[in-house]
Amino acid sequence: MAPPSVTSATISKEPGVYEDEFVHDIYERIAPHFSSTRYKPWPVIASFLSNLPAGRVWTIGLDKSLNLLKIAKNAGGVSREVVRANVLDQPWREGAFDYAISIATIHHLATHERRKQAVKRLLQSVSPNHGRVLIYVWAVEQDDLSKREIPVDELQPGGKDVFVPWVLPDPNADKTQVFNRYYHMFAKGELTQLVSEASEEMGLQVGTKNSDAQTGIELKQDGWERSNYYVELHRWSI
Amino acid sequence: MVRLITHNILACHVKGCTSNNFPLQLQGVQIELREAEFNPEFLKTFLPKIEWKALVDTAKEARDTSLPLEQPEMLDDEFLKNLHHVLLEIHIEEGTMICPNCKHNYPISNGIPNMLLAEHEVG
Repeated sequence: MAPPSVTSATISKEPGVYEDEFVHDIYERIAPHFSSTRYKPWPVIASFLSNLPAGRVWTIGLDKSLNLLKIAKNAGGVSREVVRANVLDQPWREGAFDYAISIATIHHLATHERRKQAVKRLLQSVSPNHGRVLIYVWAVEQDDLSKREIPVDELQPGGKDVFVPWVLPDPNADKTQVFNRYYHMFAKGELTQLVSEASEEMGLQVGTKNSDAQTGIELKQDGWERSNYYVELHRWSI
Repeated sequence: MVRLITHNILACHVKGCTSNNFPLQLQGVQIELREAEFNPEFLKTFLPKIEWKALVDTAKEARDTSLPLEQPEMLDDEFLKNLHHVLLEIHIEEGTMICPNCKHNYPISNGIPNMLLAEHEVG
């Protein structure tokens, strides 16, 4: 039997309620199986992490899913700190971090405004003088190696709302359960546009450090990798 | 395991609660002490990032009074070992963190702090 395919999604409810049903509740249920399929970071992320000062970084994981956090707390036999919170909120001192990475998360938010809010929270969480942020989201343009077929009937410049099935094996029976997770798949240029809007609304100039502005943000790199768009941002202040 | 190094950055984020919302006060906490590898370079890197008074006050709530009220200029081994213990070896497993301003309660369960708010509390 062919695996279930990606289908178009329409946000039919208030976005927070919609995300609860088609993102959060599903991850709570598939957490152990989902986690067992994550085995190594994508190259851009691995490279970002390998450039951090070794042995002098304190890492804190944030997620809304308690079941994923329970796994993350001890995954790989390493004891680490996790906090249960919403990416739309700011549960810590502003600028407390040197680095923030958001991997495969923002594409689960159901409106442009909410995705922008999540970007703002990342920018606020890091130092205004030297903070670095790496964001990774799913792209409409999928890798040939990926098993997913994306419906292209109504490709729009603003990306595409879809359901991506997660097939959960049932250990007690010869059958499976399918959960349709909501994703906003980003169009080419959409992530950098989102970041620019978030920065401007925060009063951050987009560009390299210069004396025309007090504070800003430099787009250090952006691109497409393995079916994802990514962007690396550096905050600066005069 | 919320350690005090992590607690030192958590702040209340209830709508409108923007001053005196840090540090969150510990109440009814269960603490476990677990040995961690002593890394003086790590501690020296972190010292400028720490809100010192918040750390000293919170350590007291966790029944540790080994830290001086002011950050010392001389970072000798004794000080660094005390700092190491407070930041990295005190694990809060259960309990509540209370906002000093709005008194919102953030529970800690199985070592995981819950900073989620209800929809109407979000800023």
